[in-house]
Amino acid sequence: MKKILISLAVLALTATSVQAGPEEDRMAFINYYKGKFPSVPDNEYANGVYAIDPVGRENWEAIEEFPPYEPFIDAGQEMWEKPFANGKGYKDCFPKGPAIAHLYPHWDKEQKMVMTLPLALNHCREANGEKPLKYKKGSINNILSYIAFQSRGNRVDVKVPQDDPGAVAAYEDGKKFYFTRRGQLNFSCANCHLQNTGLKVRTEILSPTVGHVTHWPVYRSKWGTVGTLHRRFTGCNKNIRAKPMKAQGEQYRNLEYFLSYMSNGQELNGPGARK
Amino acid sequence: MIKTNMIGALIVALSLFMVAQVSVSAESKAGMVKMDDAMAAKVADAIAKAEAARKKAASVDGEWRDTGKFIKNAQKAADAGEYDKALKLAKRAEDEGRLGYEQAVSQSELKIPSYLKY
Repeated sequence: MKKILISLAVLALTATSVQAGPEEDRMAFINYYKGKFPSVPDNEYANGVYAIDPVGRENWEAIEEFPPYEPFIDAGQEMWEKPFANGKGYKDCFPKGPAIAHLYPHWDKEQKMVMTLPLALNHCREANGEKPLKYKKGSINNILSYIAFQSRGNRVDVKVPQDDPGAVAAYEDGKKFYFTRRGQLNFSCANCHLQNTGLKVRTEILSPTVGHVTHWPVYRSKWGTVGTLHRRFTGCNKNIRAKPMKAQGEQYRNLEYFLSYMSNGQELNGPGARK
Repeated sequence: MIKTNMIGALIVALSLFMVAQVSVSAESKAGMVKMDDAMAAKVADAIAKAEAARKKAASVDGEWRDTGKFIKNAQKAADAGEYDKALKLAKRAEDEGRLGYEQAVSQSELKIPSYLKY
């Protein structure tokens, strides 16, 4: 009888943590990092790994004096202003633009899916008879760089409408992806970016989850160009020897939804520069 | 006379030996072809099993990075007649497929790690 009661208690505790809502999750993350890095102020997490890596930060600040992503912002501005073949343009699709990065990702009630900025940009193009852009490399990064630059200073403000089961399910799906071990190395996102944040993998310090989405697209020295968040997801999955999901597919969009909620309140400072 | 007979006998012996050799070689060639066919079938079966395992893992989002590559390389090796190499690669891919599936299924329910306090 005692054993049964203990089992029930364990089950109840597990169920409680699984059923925690987005805000409880976010606070659990914040408190976890506070315990791990007590001297780092909350708003510093917008700077990603440089919030917790003082040496890397010096290099990063030096790079930021002559930002390698500047040409991409300029190219993106041209794209934003140039009309499509039918005479319309991005401005017509996004009348609040170009500073719109803080409005994404969001739950699209009509389409019953997480809408990300790259997906919305391509929907705009297709609606106007243009070919969609590729989601990892290429000119999508130009327009994303311009929008990110224009959106600097806004804060991540993702909402998961609790009265919409689809939105809650998408958030929970992203959360499950984050905590699921995968690939030959049997790592989850959480293993590196929560449990072992601040430790090193080879020479790299593992970055915190809070702040992961604030600075995209990113000029990575490794890439020698600017790339999207979903390109980075792909790289992470490959590193742990898992087959990556499709960029802008449902799994990665839901993951972005969850990660973005974890960064709620952080300032957007994209495009960024990273090693 | 004796010399002529001896030469004749030698020629006959040599001819018989050559005929025997040709017959053995033909048999051995046929044997090799049979063995090749058997190996090719074994490899094809191993590759099919590996592909099925990969698909099963993919169906639960559990496919590993290199499984598909191993299957492709196994097929290439098989086409080049390198059956041992092909078998090894196919077996490796099948193992990965099975492990990837088990890995994903074992985590079908979300479990929050104990270090994250609510």
